[in-house]
Amino acid sequence: MNAEVRYAYSGRRSTFASLRLAVLLFLADPQWLIPSMIAPVIFGIVSFELFRGYGTYYLTYAILGAGMMSMWGQTLYGSGWATSQDRNFGTLEPTIQAPTAYVYVVLGRVLWNVVSGLIGGAIVYAVVVAVAGSPPALPDPLAFVVLFVFVMLTLAAVGVVFAAFYVYTRYAGFIQNIGEFAFYVGTGCMFPVILLPFWTNPIALFFPPTWALDALRYASIPGYVGFSWGFWPDVLGAVVTTTAYLVLAGSVFHRVERHVLEAGNLSDY
Amino acid sequence: MVPRTSFLRTFWTNAVFAPRTSLGFMRIDFVLGTVFVIPLTQMVFFAFVVRLGDAGASASALASAVQFTAIGNAVATVTYSSVFSVCQTTDSEKFQGTMEHLLVSPASRLAMYFGRGLIPILISLATVTVGLTYAAVFFGVSIPASSIPSLAVSVVLTAFAMVGFGLLLGGVALYLRTSIILGNIFLFVGLLLSGVNFPLSQLPLPLQYAGYGLPLTWGLAAIRAAISGEPLGSLAVLWGAVALAGALSFAAAISLWEVFERRALSTGSIARF
Repeated sequence: MNAEVRYAYSGRRSTFASLRLAVLLFLADPQWLIPSMIAPVIFGIVSFELFRGYGTYYLTYAILGAGMMSMWGQTLYGSGWATSQDRNFGTLEPTIQAPTAYVYVVLGRVLWNVVSGLIGGAIVYAVVVAVAGSPPALPDPLAFVVLFVFVMLTLAAVGVVFAAFYVYTRYAGFIQNIGEFAFYVGTGCMFPVILLPFWTNPIALFFPPTWALDALRYASIPGYVGFSWGFWPDVLGAVVTTTAYLVLAGSVFHRVERHVLEAGNLSDY
Repeated sequence: MVPRTSFLRTFWTNAVFAPRTSLGFMRIDFVLGTVFVIPLTQMVFFAFVVRLGDAGASASALASAVQFTAIGNAVATVTYSSVFSVCQTTDSEKFQGTMEHLLVSPASRLAMYFGRGLIPILISLATVTVGLTYAAVFFGVSIPASSIPSLAVSVVLTAFAMVGFGLLLGGVALYLRTSIILGNIFLFVGLLLSGVNFPLSQLPLPLQYAGYGLPLTWGLAAIRAAISGEPLGSLAVLWGAVALAGALSFAAAISLWEVFERRALSTGSIARF
């Protein structure tokens, strides 16, 4: 077996082990799903209350927004937080010293976060629909589900980049807590980004979920007015930015690992 | 006889040490973010949600709805420092292994509780003040100079009551494995039940009653009344309600602590949680 094959095998094994550990930790104490569910459920109901009486498709807005928040909690927050958790447990240094690239370990956690994000999204959907008394009117439920999963993958891509940068900083919690609402506003999770001042739109477009959410609304809300270029360019934009994020994450992880190993200053942050 | 430390000394020691030890999210970066960033981003978020929901409304109705939301969220952000941070005190004591030492110390529990609440009260005051300033500067909320004294009283009482409520949740958390879930629930439930984003009357009756049980509801009502220049008579009623909510919260928190203390000492099961 040559070195490259061994490396790939080691990566897969690490990802699987990391995924398995994430599942076991979740099953050991599943109550941790609750904290990240409370805000989305409440925000979903508040938004529904604010939108009440303004048309059939506003329920979709409330559900999409709340679902997106839940995914933020599970996917982006969980992925980004993973590095801080390693730091707190004292496992960051041994993990980075291991022959397997750290990105494979993070990937396993991200995969589980995507799954738990889906669970969270389903719970939010059920609660908001129960409060509203009827499911949202969806022209194409299958497209809705597919694009919903796609939005979550775009969030996961952002989460992986965050996780890479968090190796350098002890302000991960600060950035995520303080930046939470800014991210909701910037990516238009509850309203179209075009409602924001024009100068903010180019900034919003740097985030893959902005494109993906716009595409999802085009597919789910007849008469939706989002970015003027429409559904398919939105999908294309989401794919391009997500790919760019994943490439960036791979590169950043590689550089971060090499830098901390060379400098030996992982504990100084 | 065991010598007792003075009330003031216990109060001050707790006020100084709690932010560094037991209170959650009290690092300076978190505090600055809570005071200056979260209020603005939360207000902007809900202002745009209202704009979308009220898309067909007239300009004046839309402005009025946005201002209602801006004031509500300016005040609601106080829960980060007063409830979420404060209710984690007992969690911290348990995880740091200092709970046992506290239980056997002769320190006045009242001084301890008031001491722990001091810095969160000050941060809460700063948060609401900054939030209301944002509401005036960015969302066009008119705050007449004549209403500032009554507004100040309302804000101080709200901060006091909310920190009392946070301590009460911390008291409940004595009996739980973790306070994070409790903290998360009450961090956001006010957005729904306290008339932050829409009048309480829009909710079903049972939820309205639940809302009236939260100090944030009364504090927000007092702040709204002060901004709209309501007479002192009606303000006094609201102030009384806020003060009562705060006092009841502090009293309940101390009572919970005493019951827990008795149970812990009699069963020797302090660390079982």
